[in-house]
Amino acid sequence: MLLFLDMTVDWKRFMLILAAGASWGFAWNALSSRGIVLGQSVLVQAGDELVAAPECKRLLDRGALFLDARPRDFWRMSRIPGALPLPEEDFDRAFREAEPRLRRANAIVVYCGGYGCEASHLVARKLRAKGFAAAILDEGMPAWQDAALPLDTEPRP
Amino acid sequence: MKALVSHPRVHLVLRLLLGAFFVYASLDKIANPAAFAKVVYQWQVVGPVPSNVVAVTLPWIELLAGGLLIAGAWRREAALVVTVLLVVFVVAAGSVMARGIDVLNCGCVSLAKDAVPSAWPPAWMKGVGWFLVTRNLLMLAAAATLVTAGRAGQGAGAIEHRQPSGALPEATGSGGAGGLP
Repeated sequence: MLLFLDMTVDWKRFMLILAAGASWGFAWNALSSRGIVLGQSVLVQAGDELVAAPECKRLLDRGALFLDARPRDFWRMSRIPGALPLPEEDFDRAFREAEPRLRRANAIVVYCGGYGCEASHLVARKLRAKGFAAAILDEGMPAWQDAALPLDTEPRP
Repeated sequence: MKALVSHPRVHLVLRLLLGAFFVYASLDKIANPAAFAKVVYQWQVVGPVPSNVVAVTLPWIELLAGGLLIAGAWRREAALVVTVLLVVFVVAAGSVMARGIDVLNCGCVSLAKDAVPSAWPPAWMKGVGWFLVTRNLLMLAAAATLVTAGRAGQGAGAIEHRQPSGALPEATGSGGAGGLP
């Protein structure tokens, strides 16, 4: 690294490249129709209701229905207790299977693999389009596990 | 090997290849900042809001640095920017791998999601894994070569800027990198 401290590198130019690139990026984002809102997650859209893991646990204790939006193999390995599989990539078929339970549910919470996972958002929006209000477990399974909340790890067929 | 690494024609080839890669890699990200922000967030190195800032600024820095490398202006500084970026990418990829996070598309070049999984490129080339780390380390070696080029008088663009006397314009100046034409 000392090699790079050699005076043959003009550090003002180095900083200028970084500053100019960043400035163009912010300017493009402000002017472009494809720009994003910097202050909130790009996964969140109007109507999405994010709920933190501890509050989701309270909903679970009050009988809320949890839906696992991850691919079905992940649900087979482990899941939030009582959760039904509703994988985003197989939504239509899984929805038909889960619909009777959905109609009886007093509250619905969707979760997926967390952080950059978009499946829970997509499933919640699809449910909303079908008339079901569904909250989203903020940061998904990792947040649930980080909070040391219970998991059902019994393998399912 | 040392003679090869310090040869001006090798520097020219490295500069053009590295510059072209970074310019190409920036285009899809600039066109799709939301998709790139999701990919950055999937790396789980920074939170959602910093991911947005990275997604908005990083591609333009890549474009500018790559363009300068191709143009042959501010060569050493542009190569240093690329070097720093590659060090960050390698460290972040190592962090992702160490934590066992499955990032299917690293977002390095293309952000396209395959509706149907395609045979090419294979998943191990698109995701965060050893292929990505190796590729970045090779590019890092190339970028570091360009940064240090000219320290002993063998400027990265010497072949293009050789003066009639044979003296290299960059060899003595503290600003060093050749400057804008």
